[in-house]
Amino acid sequence: MSRFGAKKGRKLPGAEFSWETGDAGGEPDTAPTPLFPKYTVPRARPLTPQEQLQVDFYRSLRERIHDGPYYAILDGATSAAKKDSAARAQFDPFHGMQSYSGKYQKKKRALPRILGRQYVMKFFPRELWQTIQPTFRPDAAMDGYVPQVAAIVGKRGFEDDEEEEDEGPGGGKRRRADDGEEDGGDDGDEGGDVLDPDEEQDEEQLEDDDFEDDDDDMGGDYNAEQYFDGGDDEYGDDGFGDGGGGGDEETY
Amino acid sequence: MTSQYMAELCALLVEDNFGELFARIFSTLQRYDRLSFPRLKFYSRLSDRQLRHGLAAMIQHHLVYHYTSLDDGATYYEPNLQAAYYLVRSGKILEFIHARLGKYAATLMATIMFLGHAQVSYLETLPELQPEPPKTNGMGDENEEGEAGEQLNGHRDDEYTFEQPALLHPTLKALASHGYLIRVRDAQFQSYADNALDAERAIKSRPDVKQMKGKKLDETVLEGTLTLLKERLDGDLTRGLMFNGLPRGAKLRHANGSADAPSKRARVDYDDENGDEEENEWSDDDMGGDTTPMELGLVVRVNYEKLDVALRNRRFLELAELNSSSVTAQVYECLLRRIEYQTKQCRDSAEIPREGEEGEQYSVAIALNAVTEEVDPQLDLAGSIGPMEVSQPINRRGKRSLEDGINGTDHEASDKPSRSYEIDQHLSLLSQPPYNLTSKRMLAGLITWTVEFRHLARKLRHLELERVIEARYGDVALRVIRVLHAKGKLDEKRLQEISLLPFKDLRQVLASMQAGGFVDLQEVPRDAQRQPSRTIYLWFYDPDRIRSSMLEDTYKAMSRCLQRQRFERNRLKEFLEKTERSDVKGNEERYLSQAELTLLEQWKAKEALLLGEVARLDDMIAVMRDY
Repeated sequence: MSRFGAKKGRKLPGAEFSWETGDAGGEPDTAPTPLFPKYTVPRARPLTPQEQLQVDFYRSLRERIHDGPYYAILDGATSAAKKDSAARAQFDPFHGMQSYSGKYQKKKRALPRILGRQYVMKFFPRELWQTIQPTFRPDAAMDGYVPQVAAIVGKRGFEDDEEEEDEGPGGGKRRRADDGEEDGGDDGDEGGDVLDPDEEQDEEQLEDDDFEDDDDDMGGDYNAEQYFDGGDDEYGDDGFGDGGGGGDEETY
Repeated sequence: MTSQYMAELCALLVEDNFGELFARIFSTLQRYDRLSFPRLKFYSRLSDRQLRHGLAAMIQHHLVYHYTSLDDGATYYEPNLQAAYYLVRSGKILEFIHARLGKYAATLMATIMFLGHAQVSYLETLPELQPEPPKTNGMGDENEEGEAGEQLNGHRDDEYTFEQPALLHPTLKALASHGYLIRVRDAQFQSYADNALDAERAIKSRPDVKQMKGKKLDETVLEGTLTLLKERLDGDLTRGLMFNGLPRGAKLRHANGSADAPSKRARVDYDDENGDEEENEWSDDDMGGDTTPMELGLVVRVNYEKLDVALRNRRFLELAELNSSSVTAQVYECLLRRIEYQTKQCRDSAEIPREGEEGEQYSVAIALNAVTEEVDPQLDLAGSIGPMEVSQPINRRGKRSLEDGINGTDHEASDKPSRSYEIDQHLSLLSQPPYNLTSKRMLAGLITWTVEFRHLARKLRHLELERVIEARYGDVALRVIRVLHAKGKLDEKRLQEISLLPFKDLRQVLASMQAGGFVDLQEVPRDAQRQPSRTIYLWFYDPDRIRSSMLEDTYKAMSRCLQRQRFERNRLKEFLEKTERSDVKGNEERYLSQAELTLLEQWKAKEALLLGEVARLDDMIAVMRDY
């Protein structure tokens, strides 16, 4: 009796709240769990007509945005990319090669096309006005940060002007006429697409120029072909003066 | 507000809709929150040009806030999570507009969404918004003329059906007067915090405020800031456009709403309306033409807050449909619609208040006769309520005439006053527990009906939580949860007594729910030693805590769905690119083989299922966060 009571007293504290179902007094269940327990995978209900309609609306809007001027992807790696550049390294040799049917392929934009519609300038920050409307010239005396923008103007004004010539004179009317027929719109789009890579290339070209300058500079420091010539000259200069000494210097 | 999964979800949504460039900018901004242009360029590793164009386009779509500080003249950019999140709701909104205001309104709404915000004058020029009839297809210059011509056309159209394209301006007005569109204001491009600081600064610099001190100053500044903020952010367009408390085109929606009604009757409705409002200053606003077009310079955008209200009402209606007759639900719909016209947002506070701290918030009261006007006059109200003592003989007669198969016109003529009484009865039916969907008010002797929104929103939340719990842990768990919710914190023994469950079941269920975080245990020691044997353990259920954790889970589930969709898309990338080729698109049957067609079909179904699942999860989010 007493023993039974003692056992009861030794019951672990909090055991009454244990979630073991058995009466084993806190013995954990060490039996191996089944390897593949039966698991009912929840399955989604099929869509109701209303939901289907909602999804269709979502999809059509999304598709429209994708076809629209703002959809842009990050790297359009093509074989036209410059050799040894990062873009070239990611080029897909199986599908990236240009082919005839590629002309039907959906064009991908690397840059949202801003031009071609009206904007309300006051809704945008000042530093983007130049982007939205290339004809806009910031007053030089406005703020401290304007010169910085102006510097970029010098670099970009030319390209943007070109684009503006495409769109500018016609203005809204021209745009309307384009959109009136699908083909016209498509042409406009293609024009934009052609333009964009060009511009990018221009940019790359500029960078390349910088690099070549660098190369030239480095050539001044070290030039493999003139390596020995330079040495010879030095040798020749010194050789007549104090012969062996110069040679020794060279071998060191 | 920003949590990991919320941020992930928003970035995914932006990518799904707008592509990688936007997503890169957006996620960079999310990570660093507020950046100036050079910093943003550094972190995002994009070229100057990409970033400029991207940012401009994102501002156009309200995805990025910007703020130019007056001190250093630098412009800072910030992500707009709310706008990014609402991308997921676009399908739902368009479907709603489609059901309410017709196809053309949905097209218009989609166009505005596509453009971000748009000037009315620009919308006029878009070819897809020109009416479809072959004549005068948006020839730019003769736009005005075209409109005049279509005005007549519109007249002819709406005699027949509303699926025919209506005019741009009346539709715009209808959308604006419902509050689904708002005017774009400068301040909407800055984040709320920036606006608040700006307003505060403006108030503080006022000479009369400068002289104040202490508590008075604080109060004045706070009050002034709020009013100034409201003034600056307010883009409400409904004010000038409502007449008699009804938005434009409201009747149109009415006729559209009862789809089963023959279109002939719908037309009768219009004629009535036009007759009624002949003396009104907007009398020229019959559906076909509007001689006062919207201001051309007006810039509009989608008003998501108002649409939330509309979607919430829809949700309440579904709740009402669950346990009342369809007629009652229709009456309820009319009441809700009347309320919707005067409700701007779902609630006044930005965050959902904590459980129990939430006050009552009644909607505007709608007079009974206004509801009576709104209800379809052909609707058989008596059929779904039991005969009433008061007007039994009349009702009987009415019933008999219906049984005879005659349309109840004479019945209606004979007891016109009882019609509003019947509607009152229907509304009383709805006011019964458990949902208390309506509540009655007497205002100056007039019977009015209101809806207690906070109570109902809370109810929706609880139902949603209970649904999840039942799905995960079964009905025993549901009973336990309900007991805990009704009684508060309970000792296990009391819980067992109340819930009438065997200990074994109870413990199992409690333990598994505790592991899932749905219930928790509180220890109350009875002495200073905190001995377990002398401690009371109380189970409790905290809906607030569970709500926030459920929100996180739901965000996560949504973002996983979108990731899955992206993955599936990548798997079929080559094939899908083929179907998107400009020559294949549109005539798939001609260019694709049978197997490819099936594959395309399968892909579409799969994508629809994933997107549909996201939309369902969004419903949950709406209930737990927005309503």
